[in-house]
Amino acid sequence: MAEAPLTTTFEDIDRTVLNTLGPAPARYWAGVLLLAAGIAVGGLCWIYQIFVGIGVGGQNNPVAWGTYLINFVFWVGIAHSGTLISAILHLFRAGWRNPIARAAETMTVFAVCVAGLFPFVHLGRVWMVYYMLPVPNQRDLWPNFQSPLMFDVIAISAYLTVSVLFWYTGMLPDLATVRDHSTGRKQKIFTVLSLGWTGSQRQWFHHGRAYLFFASLATPLVISVHSVVSWDFALGVVPGWHTTIFAPYFVAGAIHSGLAMVITLMVPLRKLFRYERYITLDVLENIAKTIIFTGLIVAFAYGTEVFMAWYSGNPIEMETFRWRITGHYGLFFWIMVTCNTLVPLLFFFKRIRTSIPWLLGICLLVNIGMWFERFVIIVGSVAHDFIPHAWGHYAPTLVEYGVMLGSFCLFFFLFVLFVKHMPSLAMAELKHSATGGGHGD
Amino acid sequence: MGTKKIVLGLFDSEEKTVSAIRALKYSPWKVEDVFSPVPGNGLAEALGMGKSRVGYFTLAGGILGFLTGFFLAAWTAGQWNIIISGKPVISLIPFFIVGFELTILFGVGANVLGFLIFAGLPRLKLPDYYDPRCSGAFFGVAASCGEEDQERLTSFLKKRGADIRIMD
Repeated sequence: MAEAPLTTTFEDIDRTVLNTLGPAPARYWAGVLLLAAGIAVGGLCWIYQIFVGIGVGGQNNPVAWGTYLINFVFWVGIAHSGTLISAILHLFRAGWRNPIARAAETMTVFAVCVAGLFPFVHLGRVWMVYYMLPVPNQRDLWPNFQSPLMFDVIAISAYLTVSVLFWYTGMLPDLATVRDHSTGRKQKIFTVLSLGWTGSQRQWFHHGRAYLFFASLATPLVISVHSVVSWDFALGVVPGWHTTIFAPYFVAGAIHSGLAMVITLMVPLRKLFRYERYITLDVLENIAKTIIFTGLIVAFAYGTEVFMAWYSGNPIEMETFRWRITGHYGLFFWIMVTCNTLVPLLFFFKRIRTSIPWLLGICLLVNIGMWFERFVIIVGSVAHDFIPHAWGHYAPTLVEYGVMLGSFCLFFFLFVLFVKHMPSLAMAELKHSATGGGHGD
Repeated sequence: MGTKKIVLGLFDSEEKTVSAIRALKYSPWKVEDVFSPVPGNGLAEALGMGKSRVGYFTLAGGILGFLTGFFLAAWTAGQWNIIISGKPVISLIPFFIVGFELTILFGVGANVLGFLIFAGLPRLKLPDYYDPRCSGAFFGVAASCGEEDQERLTSFLKKRGADIRIMD
């Protein structure tokens, strides 16, 4: 994949990014306020649930895992492509990732924050959450480290910490640039945030090395995190969950959904901030090509699951998949297949993957499809497992919809605040590309 | 020699900066620091920097993380000594996963620590001879000399294309 030729000067890059940090117009704050209102709705729903009880959600026997867990997996998945772009493509020295790296990493950090809230929301008695921490106590009770839920607690906490550190360390040179171009209180704030970065050779020298190790450690981490998330399901003896394909299947799905979210965020960002010169159509086209690839892996996984159910000869496994495809939630299954595997194939046509409305439209459909994938997997299997008299249906309640709305608003709220107040393009990396310096050298 | 003076030469390209550093090496003056808006391989080479030792921190952190994760899980499991889900009390595979996650977490933590220590960060006061243009488009070479030599050093840097700032 060719790197977009950048015939820009350092001043151009600084000017473009610093212009985005000027005072925001009233309509920006109106948008922020609207998102804050959405967060308030979600927060109130959660508070209501804490006071009344977990029963205000639709989760009940046999479907004890509903939208809270669906949204958890959805947001963790979104996070993954940010790390793919910042760490894995850094190791592959794919220069086209430079213009979108910062925004994608930001997406990762905020998506993990949002995801991390859902296990709390899902807890009936959230004030007992410290039971998950290995803290010494009188009764000598410890968490069960054999449980995949404990793996998950550790993996997600590690992922959040690592993503934040990776994002922040990478941002130091850009924070210094903002510091040096500002005055007054803003300068003071950025002096603290940039930790005294001067761009001296000693700093760059160790920064480059540390960044390489960051990328090398974040790469196995990101693969392990969604594998661990998948084991929350795969380690349970539930038809449709208990398979070895789950880890790679989830990782591919996570990156698929995350890349779609990157395009969903980049299209308005480049338009509003006039980043078209940096986040070029070539960059978006490369993401679209990667989406074809991840879409095909996901399609292969869907096919393999059905094949394994048939080939196993296990009547319960076969019934689970028959019901998944044609039963009560059959429509969701077909939404998932269409949006995640068939629609992205349109990116094979150059005319489509270079058209902004098509890119945005298809990526929105992939986002929707991936949400439904989690619904089909999580709800579909427990609603219809071994014992017919225990079968049942599940539908989210208004409280759950409220929390879900709150989570989307929280994500966009954080993202919108970030891009207007912090450098949303990796300036130093773009400058490095502009000098012809290879990425990651 | 009188009081030490620092002259900061600002260059608009990496090539000019590298040639100035090389030339300074064969001069009586000393390069105090070199600032740049982008990482430069040429600069590190010209300054004769070897290999960063941040990696030792990362490695130590990773090893410590693995041991912490694995033995935390094993030790806590040993407290009650109960067989759960038919798995042995000390289950190697699940505990390996805990160890793995903490390898990465501690490795990254130590990596950041190593970077901060080696890079001399954080600090709130920038060196007096730092010029804010160095985080924008310019490369800065700070060289020191005695007071009497200041003009010679200034013209030396100017000849190589620099814009000049002088600091005490």
